[in-house]
Amino acid sequence: MKALVIVGHGSHLNEDSSLPVYEHAALVRDRYAGEFDEVVECFWKEEPSMRHVLDLVESEDIYVVPAFISEGYFTQQVIPRELGLSGPVTRRDGRTIRYAGPLGTYEGMPDVILERVDDLLEGKETRPGRTALVLLGHGTDLNKNSSGVIYLNAERIRERGVYDLVEVGFLDQDPPIAEVVGGVEAENVVLIPVFIAEGWHTRETIPEDLGLTGEVTEMADRTVFYGAPVGTHPSVADLIVSRARETDEREAELARDVS
Amino acid sequence: MRATSPERSGGEAPRRNTAAEARTAFAAWVEEAPGGRSFGQIVVRPLPEGGYELRHAADAGLPDGDLDVHVDPREAREIAKLTEGGEYRPLKSSPNLRRGWLLRVEGERGLYVAMNYLYPSAVVHWHLHRSGELEITTYRENAARQSGIYKRVQRLSDEGVQNAARACCEDAVCLKKTLWDVDENTPLESERGEGEIPCPEPCSIFVSFARRVRLFERENKRDLDAIGLSPSEKEDLSALVEAAATGSVPLAREAEFEEPLNERRMRYRRLTLVPKLRPDGDAATPEEG
Ligand code: SF4
Repeated sequence: MKALVIVGHGSHLNEDSSLPVYEHAALVRDRYAGEFDEVVECFWKEEPSMRHVLDLVESEDIYVVPAFISEGYFTQQVIPRELGLSGPVTRRDGRTIRYAGPLGTYEGMPDVILERVDDLLEGKETRPGRTALVLLGHGTDLNKNSSGVIYLNAERIRERGVYDLVEVGFLDQDPPIAEVVGGVEAENVVLIPVFIAEGWHTRETIPEDLGLTGEVTEMADRTVFYGAPVGTHPSVADLIVSRARETDEREAELARDVS
Repeated sequence: MRATSPERSGGEAPRRNTAAEARTAFAAWVEEAPGGRSFGQIVVRPLPEGGYELRHAADAGLPDGDLDVHVDPREAREIAKLTEGGEYRPLKSSPNLRRGWLLRVEGERGLYVAMNYLYPSAVVHWHLHRSGELEITTYRENAARQSGIYKRVQRLSDEGVQNAARACCEDAVCLKKTLWDVDENTPLESERGEGEIPCPEPCSIFVSFARRVRLFERENKRDLDAIGLSPSEKEDLSALVEAAATGSVPLAREAEFEEPLNERRMRYRRLTLVPKLRPDGDAATPEEG
């Protein structure tokens, strides 16, 4: 039997935080019923905890996918420690536990971002002129990967040449998001938070700091389109499955390298 | 400290599937009691036509027609998400499960799914505890693992752990039975709880509360005023007086330990501040039950 375990951060205060994990789990149960016998959610700050989730799982082949954007403290320290993982593949008590990479660095992520943009712009009028896509990241001085993943996705989208400009901005590091949204040379600015879930930032601080009134805000010289966080998009469910499958390919490659 | 399995000791026995065992054992336990079993705040009973029915224990006597009927076991998650008053429930074993619903599920798998949303991990821990195999992790072992902003819980004193457990874990605020101790030689002194759901290790709510209590401890050493009160104690008293003076004391969210009017924080104050304010021993009763 095969199980998919989706790991979320969760929250002690806010019910939005775990919602995408539950929604993606439900979609995977529907869309990939033949592939996974069990799809189980677990969290750092909610129950079931990562510490106990493997006790609940009946399968012997377990795929763990972190619903996190970047590689960092959680994916490298907290999750492996709490789940008792010793590397990409852990064999324990007759089980094989494969640990996948985070979602933001996956090659399929730009597609999900672009789908998010299409959903946002559908049926809405844009101004004549240029359109800039701005990816918003959390950013932190402590972890270069946190901004790196935003730059990586911006670069991958830039290469496709669908937007006049693709820029990045952050909450907690340079360049500050307000400067980017206000300063980018475009008549239409599409702002997409590269976050996993809705929360205080996406609902309150960002709209407040940028003077946004909703999905569409008309400013003197530009229209700003503000999208929901990428992590809540239904296609993320497919991304999670791709990440899980990739661990098998990785293992096959390793086996080839050894032989 | 994981439970050992046959493979680990080198045998060829097939893998022990504790989760599947627990699912079956729980269903059998329920089947043995046609009148229903109580578990946490719910009653679960076998239905004569097959399947199981779950509802809030306080709704046990109500006609089905008075309740919102659900048949998808995954809807248990929505049932468990918010309190009666619409507050988010970060700890599913808090005694604040809402009433007014009824869940009919098919088969032991349906029951297991529903139970794992109402009381995550509870069935498997219940099963392992019954068979004497539940592995316990002490506070000190758990704290030793913590990193980042939680690393400081390693320095919480034994007394701090005891008081934190009294404030955070007793049945008035969490229905799990605390099985863990401070360390192997220092048992918890709090009431461990009467319920069926074992708690084998401090949960993340507890660790977050322990961090708060550790900050109180530090403050106590450094910043006491002439009558021995700490800045945060004075902040809490002021907030309490101000709120009560308006005629109602709105409590902070369940896990909002940074806010003065948090129930667990107030429970901790009852243990540590009230004795300071009433030094003649006329302290509040330790537990209201
Ligand atoms: S640690 Fe305390 S609050 Fe947390 S589940 Fe256990 S008994 Fe309840």
